[in-house]
Amino acid sequence: MAVASEDFVPTIALDGARKQRGTLTQARIRWMILALVIGFGMVGGRLVQLGMVETDQTIEGQTRDVITATRPPILDRNGLEMAVDIRVPSLYAEPRRIIDVEEAVRELRTVLPDLDENWLRNRLTGDRGFVWIKRELTPAIQEQVMRLGIPGIDFITESKRFYPGMNEAAHILGSTNVDNQGIAGIERHMDTESVALLQELGLARGNALTPVELSVDMRVQHILHDQLVDAMTRYQAIAAAGVMMDIHTGEIIALASVPDFNPNEPATALVKDTFNRITAGIFEPGSTFKTVTFAGALDSGAVRLTDNFDARYGIRFGRYTIDDFHGKHRILSLPEVYKYSSNIGTIRIMQAMGKDNFRAFLSRMKFDQRVDFELPEMRVPTVPKELSEVGAATASFGHGLSISPLHLVTAYAAFANGGNYVPPTLYKRDIAEAEALYERVLQPETSTALRYLMRLNALEGSGSQMNKAAQGYRAGGKTGTAEKVVDGRYSSSKVTNFFASAFPLDNPRYAIVIMVDEPKAENPQSGTTAGWNAGAITGRLIQRAAPMLGIAPDFSEALDREIVPPVLR
Amino acid sequence: MMRTLNIFLIFTSIALLAGVYALKFSIEGTAAERSALIALIDEQEGQLSLVKADWAVLNQPGHIEPIVRRHQAELAIEPVKQEQFGSFAALPMRPAKPDTAAMDALFEAIANGIDPIDAILELEGIE
Repeated sequence: MAVASEDFVPTIALDGARKQRGTLTQARIRWMILALVIGFGMVGGRLVQLGMVETDQTIEGQTRDVITATRPPILDRNGLEMAVDIRVPSLYAEPRRIIDVEEAVRELRTVLPDLDENWLRNRLTGDRGFVWIKRELTPAIQEQVMRLGIPGIDFITESKRFYPGMNEAAHILGSTNVDNQGIAGIERHMDTESVALLQELGLARGNALTPVELSVDMRVQHILHDQLVDAMTRYQAIAAAGVMMDIHTGEIIALASVPDFNPNEPATALVKDTFNRITAGIFEPGSTFKTVTFAGALDSGAVRLTDNFDARYGIRFGRYTIDDFHGKHRILSLPEVYKYSSNIGTIRIMQAMGKDNFRAFLSRMKFDQRVDFELPEMRVPTVPKELSEVGAATASFGHGLSISPLHLVTAYAAFANGGNYVPPTLYKRDIAEAEALYERVLQPETSTALRYLMRLNALEGSGSQMNKAAQGYRAGGKTGTAEKVVDGRYSSSKVTNFFASAFPLDNPRYAIVIMVDEPKAENPQSGTTAGWNAGAITGRLIQRAAPMLGIAPDFSEALDREIVPPVLR
Repeated sequence: MMRTLNIFLIFTSIALLAGVYALKFSIEGTAAERSALIALIDEQEGQLSLVKADWAVLNQPGHIEPIVRRHQAELAIEPVKQEQFGSFAALPMRPAKPDTAAMDALFEAIANGIDPIDAILELEGIE
């Protein structure tokens, strides 16, 4: 239009009123569109901004789910709670929201006076989003803090592990740390298995977790613990421990070791000497190991129940002579060797079998490896790879090698149950599951012979103290008094005593090992050998626990006569 | 025509607006109720966990035994002994025939007004 009108005088054009209005409307519409675009742009921008914000879900490096995660309750075999979760409030602060740090510090210390003033001030100053102040408080303190009404201070409900049995099953359960993670015992094992994964996925919340059922019977566990605590004062021992196992399924019915700790206060577990002596302690088993020698020799066919052995003189190995503790010094029959616990006779039995066969039998009974068990607190036994003549001789009566009481009870279970090695477990296991794990280590006839020997020892030998209390329950076992090594020499005053047994021997169901460390005589009439302490504890334990396990006493002598193998009747 | 339609639309919009607001507020109310309930459930679950833990403590054999020991003398109770166990098989068999003569004698005595139990009761100083 400009090019076209170049040569002409520009005409004055007046817009009509209608056109003027039209332009104005167009301008208004443009402004309106602009306003709308800006408006919607702002809304959209805000939406994007909100979407970009990352809410802080972590609590000092851990996700909130981990803190509030629960653990499954642990039940004993009868459904009694051994470990439960309780909800407790924990106090935290959001320092960036605290207005007056000094006031907050002053007021908090009126309720929680044990908090250090400087520590608390440092804790609350700054721009952090979350800091713990004190964890696992009581509801009463929560109420008081809430009343203070300090901004930026709040509570979060945490799960805390609680063990209603206190000390009683301490070594089985272990304990958890403040973050509810297992640090010892079966709690630790559960974490390595599955619980940790559940917690990580955030699924372990609320009460939805299936309870874990253990093989332990809390009633028997209580009796065992009670007897061991009693033994500590009665015999002034430095330690005592015991374990009971179902010989057919391998389930551990009770396991205790004193001195112990309170799992509700995990710090008490750090005190010296509270370790689990059943799994994490290795000891020379003493004469309880003679049963192993007898089992190996009888099973190999090298000796028979009717054989006799010359125990008139000690056996010489170079400079050393091995003799008997209460020697009879005559020819002994095989049952007599067991009954009188003759070292000489046992060495002869081992020699009849041959030391290499004997060593191979120890491997067959898994004495040279860790027992396959759930508790993480385990020690590898020390059994020499090769046995010298004298080494094999001392090993035959349980010296010169160290095993855990758990090894011993597993071996005795195999001796009594017909000759099947079954690995022990702390979880419930039925007989069908157990049979799949059976490993035949002895012939059934050998097992029958060993039952007879154990019962004989209770009736006539060193187990009579045990049998006195456990009358009628057909219990039997072997004592073991192992001298401790003090300054490189065996000391006769410091001993570790064992009693390994099984009951009821006409139809055995349970195997027990009791250990007492450095016991003293209860009264001047009694002694310090194993029968007086470990044996007596076993007797009292059986007396109280057998009825609970559904074993009725029976005094008929026919039962004892039936235990005797046909060759000796 | 256009005018009535516009008026109608305006009123509808106002009504819808009011409806949307009412819905919004009712949802907010429900949400508040829900979070209050969640808090309540949470608190009650916490209390329940404590009560359960209490129950577990009270049920422990280790908790019960000291109580039993405290009341041992008063209740005259003792740990059970092996001799106290029995079985149905150990019960004596019923006599082949009831002792009719003795029964007759007893019934006759009672009919005559002599109750053998009376004599025992008098001897014991009861009555």
